[in-house]
Amino acid sequence: MNTATVSAAMVSDSIGSATMLISNYVFPNDLHVHWSMMIVLYPYITGLVDGAFIIAALYYLFDVKSLAPVARFSLLFALAFLCCATIPLLLHLGRPERNFNMLLTPSPSSAMAGFGYIYAVSMGVLVFIIFFVYRPVLVALRKSSRGWLKVLYRVITLDSIDLSDDALKLDAKIIRFLVAIGIPIAAVLHGYVGFIFGGVKANPTWSSPLMPVIFLFSACVSGISAIVFAYIVIAKVKSRPIDHECIVTMINTLTGFFILAFSFEMLEVFSHSYLKTGYHHMVEGLLNGPLAKSFWFWQVKIGSVLPLLLLGIMVLFKIRSSLYTFLAAGVSGILLIQVFIMRWNVVIGGQLMSKSARGYTQFHPQWFDKEGIIAVIIVMAIPFVILFFLGKIFPFWDKDNGV
Amino acid sequence: MGLSYKVRLILVCIGIFVMVVLGFFFKTLLIPDSFGVYGPFRADAIDEIVEIPIRHGTNDSCFKCHPYEAKIHKAGLHKTISCEFCHGTYADHVADGKKTGVLPVKTGEQITTLCLRCHNTEIKARSEKVIKTVAMPDHLRDQHVKLSHNCSQCHNVHAPLKYINRAKQITGLMEKGQ
Amino acid sequence: MKIKDPSPDMKKRSFLKNVLNGTVAGCLYLVYPMGADSFEIPEQIPGIRNKPYDIYDQEFAFVVDITRCIGCGSCCVADKREFNVPDGNYRTWVERYVKGFSDRIYVDCPNGGLDGYQSPRTDIKEKIRDTFFVPKLCNMCREAPCVQVCPVGATFTSPDGFVLVDDKRCVGCAYCIQACPYSARFINPETRVVEKCTWCYNRVRKGLLPACVQVCPTGARKFGSLKDENSEVYKILKGPGVLTVLKKEMGTWPALYYKGARREVV
Repeated sequence: MNTATVSAAMVSDSIGSATMLISNYVFPNDLHVHWSMMIVLYPYITGLVDGAFIIAALYYLFDVKSLAPVARFSLLFALAFLCCATIPLLLHLGRPERNFNMLLTPSPSSAMAGFGYIYAVSMGVLVFIIFFVYRPVLVALRKSSRGWLKVLYRVITLDSIDLSDDALKLDAKIIRFLVAIGIPIAAVLHGYVGFIFGGVKANPTWSSPLMPVIFLFSACVSGISAIVFAYIVIAKVKSRPIDHECIVTMINTLTGFFILAFSFEMLEVFSHSYLKTGYHHMVEGLLNGPLAKSFWFWQVKIGSVLPLLLLGIMVLFKIRSSLYTFLAAGVSGILLIQVFIMRWNVVIGGQLMSKSARGYTQFHPQWFDKEGIIAVIIVMAIPFVILFFLGKIFPFWDKDNGV
Repeated sequence: MGLSYKVRLILVCIGIFVMVVLGFFFKTLLIPDSFGVYGPFRADAIDEIVEIPIRHGTNDSCFKCHPYEAKIHKAGLHKTISCEFCHGTYADHVADGKKTGVLPVKTGEQITTLCLRCHNTEIKARSEKVIKTVAMPDHLRDQHVKLSHNCSQCHNVHAPLKYINRAKQITGLMEKGQ
Repeated sequence: MKIKDPSPDMKKRSFLKNVLNGTVAGCLYLVYPMGADSFEIPEQIPGIRNKPYDIYDQEFAFVVDITRCIGCGSCCVADKREFNVPDGNYRTWVERYVKGFSDRIYVDCPNGGLDGYQSPRTDIKEKIRDTFFVPKLCNMCREAPCVQVCPVGATFTSPDGFVLVDDKRCVGCAYCIQACPYSARFINPETRVVEKCTWCYNRVRKGLLPACVQVCPTGARKFGSLKDENSEVYKILKGPGVLTVLKKEMGTWPALYYKGARREVV
């Protein structure tokens, strides 16, 4: 617990704040970081769900036809990750067996209390969108499959093989309706995660009305990046053709969302340093001290400025489609990491500031902890396993109807 | 099964509705009884917290069985000091009106450590109005005693000036009853 | 006399018996459960015992007098013993503030003040203007952010003004820890639920002072009922002395007052 040595260098850097920071004093109960990697992972996972859902919504609600190849895949991708959104939370809770208290007695004043209900509704909406989207395919698959798979398809299609024009028109209407209500639900599901942080007035880096906005836009960035990345990787692995038009549309959308996300992230930092409010010295000291590397170097320079340049080149100049695909995969890969680092800097970084407003604690990730690195890797692997099995039942791609 | 697709969908909707209603019904069953008596929390929790056993008594609870120490302690400058701070908690000593454990009595060097926790001039924060502090070993030197002396050799731990005032009275430096 | 949680009827009867027996102490002494047993302690907060506790008609205050604190750490030791607080977590702690002539503030709090402050700080190069100790504990906010954010209603403000934790409902999400501007909360590693200072609610309801107040040798910690016009806290709050609260700008309206706190104290 040698907090005196944590950032002696940092203290000498920020002379204006030195009066407060000089002793680098951390409240005795603040030495421990309570929200660790699982709480980094949770908004990351719901963010992926949100972004993937945006791609599907663009196709099914806003008729962006070029997204047809990935529309169904993004729905399944969203479902696979949504299934796992609660795992990090359960691993984090001190008493996971009491998690139903959240549904039984949600406190009307707490931002966190709505989680169970918001989650249940978004899960329901997503499942039904997938059902109606896939119905014609499933009816066809039901005919061609046998054994337990046939039974499964019969159950999923409600044992109906009605593919008449009337029925399909009804499906299309329902899909549009469900997607339309799905967008605000997805926004609430993730915006509320941002609000959980934004509503903590005791923490100067969190308490900001911009927090839900930043979370929402960076969620869209991570989700769209994930779809781009997964689409290209799966196509390369399975040596399928890649729809160039589709990637261009996704990259353009990604560029738009990323500009918004990055602008708001920077706006947050600049308004902190311009307003210089009471706890400003803590934020400044945090970003230039313990977070100097992970924020300024990794999140801003490598994770944001570099992709912004690449996206600019991709949007403004004409590039060979093979190079474009390569760049798209690269940019989306970087952005996936950037959003993770951003979540890290917000969640863990914010807790490094002691409420004493005089010092910073330290966070050392453990390997074998309940919330350790191994656990993080396992939790991140589970959605892909689910996605693999979902792919066995619901064919991913547009032209691949499995018939 | 001759149900049309539309009817099947309506049945699914009804199914969802029924499940939601059942969910809320079971929810009301599972909420603890005393929840909401005073507000959105379990009122019984207050009574449970009240029932948490007490471990510290007061000096008076010690004095009941230790009249000799009580007399000295109450008369001395240390009367505001809690017995249990130096000796341990009442709950570790007495249960059901009977002695259940032996509490430690500090001796020698331990006493000096304990004294200097408060009476140390080096800690500049201590107001002279609130507490008398000394610097060690200057105090021993000033009083012309061996530097190896423990505090308790001159000061009664329960009434620090007991022996000193007595000595002053005997030597006539102080009036009796002062 | 070994009555654990007697019925109101029984209480009345035993009280009458005491009076009839001529033991005046009967009014002052009651039997209170301690562990599995009972023991007798005279009442310290007048007006709690021997009458039904009206939970809606109570007001308590805690005053910390910084000018009297000598940093002995008795309160921290008593608190740890009273609630068997696990090492490394603190329901209450005492900080040492050192103010230099350059207006720089040096704060430290080794082991939460449990070992007291036995040696001066040696790492300060400048001349020292002032040194003082600041005891910290739950602020019992009237607008408690921890109560607001608790998703399951496990942290609540009882009608008598105490912010308490229901350890049977807490899920251990630690949101309240994030929300508390004073860092008074921690997750107990044994029970895995959140814990914090309760101003010794279990003692107060039995007419006893909080353990830290009870052991404080200099009267730096004062607790009492504001309904009792003879109580020390009532007189302090009624008097002209300036009292402050911590982090006023957080809008938490603490019921914990500080007397003689410099503005640098957060």
